[in-house]
Amino acid sequence: MLRVAGLTRRFGEQLALDDVTFDVVPGRMTGFVGANGAGKTTTMRIILGVLAASAGEVRWQGELLTPKVRQDFGYMPEERGLYPKMKIRDQLIFFGRLHGMTQNHAAERTDKLLGRLGLAERATDVLETLSLGNQQRVQIAVALIHQPIALVLDEPFSGLDPLAVDAMVDLLREEVTPEIPVLFSSHQLDLVERLCDDLVVLSRGKVVAAGPVAELAASQTPTYRLVVDGDAGWLRDLPGLRVRDVAGGTALFDVEDAGDAQQILQQAMSRGPVLEFGPERVALSDVFREATR
Amino acid sequence: MNDRTLDRPWLLIAEREVSTKLRDKTFIGSTLVMLAVVLAAVILPALLAGGNNSDKIAVIDDGGAAVVQRASQTQGGNAYEPLRVADQDAAEAAVTKTDATAALLPGPDGYVVIGKDKVDSGVGAALRAAVAEVGMEKNASAVKLTPEQLRAGTQVSEKILEPGPLPGYVSDFVNIGLALVFYMTALGFGMMIAQSVVQEKESRVVEILAASVPIRSLLWGKVLGNTVLALGQIVVIAAASLVGLAATDRLDILSVVAPVAGWFVIFFVLGFVALAGLWAVAGSLATRQEDLGSTTLPGQMILMIPFFFAVFAGPGPREIASFVPIASSMSMPGRMLTEDVPLWQPLVAIAILLVSTVLIIRVGARLYERTLLKTGHRLGYRQALALKAE
Repeated sequence: MLRVAGLTRRFGEQLALDDVTFDVVPGRMTGFVGANGAGKTTTMRIILGVLAASAGEVRWQGELLTPKVRQDFGYMPEERGLYPKMKIRDQLIFFGRLHGMTQNHAAERTDKLLGRLGLAERATDVLETLSLGNQQRVQIAVALIHQPIALVLDEPFSGLDPLAVDAMVDLLREEVTPEIPVLFSSHQLDLVERLCDDLVVLSRGKVVAAGPVAELAASQTPTYRLVVDGDAGWLRDLPGLRVRDVAGGTALFDVEDAGDAQQILQQAMSRGPVLEFGPERVALSDVFREATR
Repeated sequence: MNDRTLDRPWLLIAEREVSTKLRDKTFIGSTLVMLAVVLAAVILPALLAGGNNSDKIAVIDDGGAAVVQRASQTQGGNAYEPLRVADQDAAEAAVTKTDATAALLPGPDGYVVIGKDKVDSGVGAALRAAVAEVGMEKNASAVKLTPEQLRAGTQVSEKILEPGPLPGYVSDFVNIGLALVFYMTALGFGMMIAQSVVQEKESRVVEILAASVPIRSLLWGKVLGNTVLALGQIVVIAAASLVGLAATDRLDILSVVAPVAGWFVIFFVLGFVALAGLWAVAGSLATRQEDLGSTTLPGQMILMIPFFFAVFAGPGPREIASFVPIASSMSMPGRMLTEDVPLWQPLVAIAILLVSTVLIIRVGARLYERTLLKTGHRLGYRQALALKAE
């Protein structure tokens, strides 16, 4: 397990990270979300040892993370970049060897990944001649080349079309074995919702929510949807609920607890026929908005 | 998961540095140009002197051909070549059409040398001497004297009491040449090192590199790779000049240069490594290629000032310069070649250079570590020194 414990980082006067603590559990994908400037990239760079923490530590299997162990991590930095004028196959082999693989093993693995990413025919092309989407595929291949023991991916899907995202997600699912913890940041909440098992929400350098996505969603007070035959405007006059929207016979409202909702349903039924009633599914964007409010 | 941990990441970095450069068309091109310049400098003078071009002399009998061959031998090598033709008319025609430089025909009492509008004085003298020699040997054998008996007591040889290492103009040439080799190589490779560092910063690949291996080993790898390349380039150029010297029969110069070659390598490597560290820092202070102009300025000065010193300064200042680090790499090997330098001088110079190289590299590594991952704006040297470790 990868644990970030009490990470604090100052840039001059500015406090970029404030006592950030969370776990990345093996075999689970942990989504790392937060507004721009919340401190996601800073946290990831500290995990990878590219930036020093002002306080706090990163632990691996209970021990302090050492450079030797970290060498086996896979990293995709926010600012993409490889050698523009190097052939992509040579490039992947180089990074494989940089992580301690033998030439042969690295070559074998390179060919497999390039084939998997549909780049086999481009193997001897220079990186800069590839489209941006394909360059991004090579970048993820670099993060995966040495069969990392943990993955840290900073915005891995930004700039990809939906098909490319699917291909990359498939690849990740294939590569992420039950012993690998994966931390990835993203702005695309729908994607995080689809992919992630766990979630860490960061706001202004602080962790404001962390845990399994399902639990976080369940902890939210749900929004209910009511559709009646007639006008639902009377809901506005009731105490103990917050109306989000009323349009003709359709209304969306929040209640403090589920019991209140049942009382409202009874009232509605006493006024006439109820066509539809039930809790709306809680979207991750709501969790995010709620947490970072 | 992995086969092993990478014990010597700098070796892999160096390897990439070398293999990338060896495939880089600009690098290959500039090496070829340098090679051509050196070869031209070695071979051209000989070509211009005509040493390698044999002049054709038209002859019509065996006697004439023997004379031409003797003249050629006396000149050393193949200065003249007999061109056998049928008769006097054909020989004169060959000279008129400039197929032959001159013609050598039997005359009333010996031979006649025929030229088109004049007889080249060198050719004339050589043929006259050869005719005399061959004629005298023939006459001598008629009275049963061997050629040795004929020449007995007429030979003059030379002896020099205080042989200087090299004649004056040659020693100037060698001094400038050695300083130039270091200057050009250090400047050329220095710019390449700075560029390769800033390219890694610009393309952000440095973030992945730094996450995989210690930043210091990135620096060592770059310095090592480029030192190997620079030495390799010099070896290739040295080999080319050897070929050139051999082709022009000037291998005698080699016997003078050879004893200093080892010293040159030591001074070169130490000076180059110190500079390579500085150039790498120049690259890591920059964030874009355009910044290199200002961040490499100190490196250029450190090279340029001693270079002009080594080339233009008189013996006194040059002697002082040959102890100053970096400057010593440019002036000491040249001095050793052209003057009688006591052994302690190069040893002391090497000791000073070694200490400063270690110091420069240590400060350089510190600056490199602290600035490599700083992007956004160009840093000054003073700013960089004030930075704290990350």
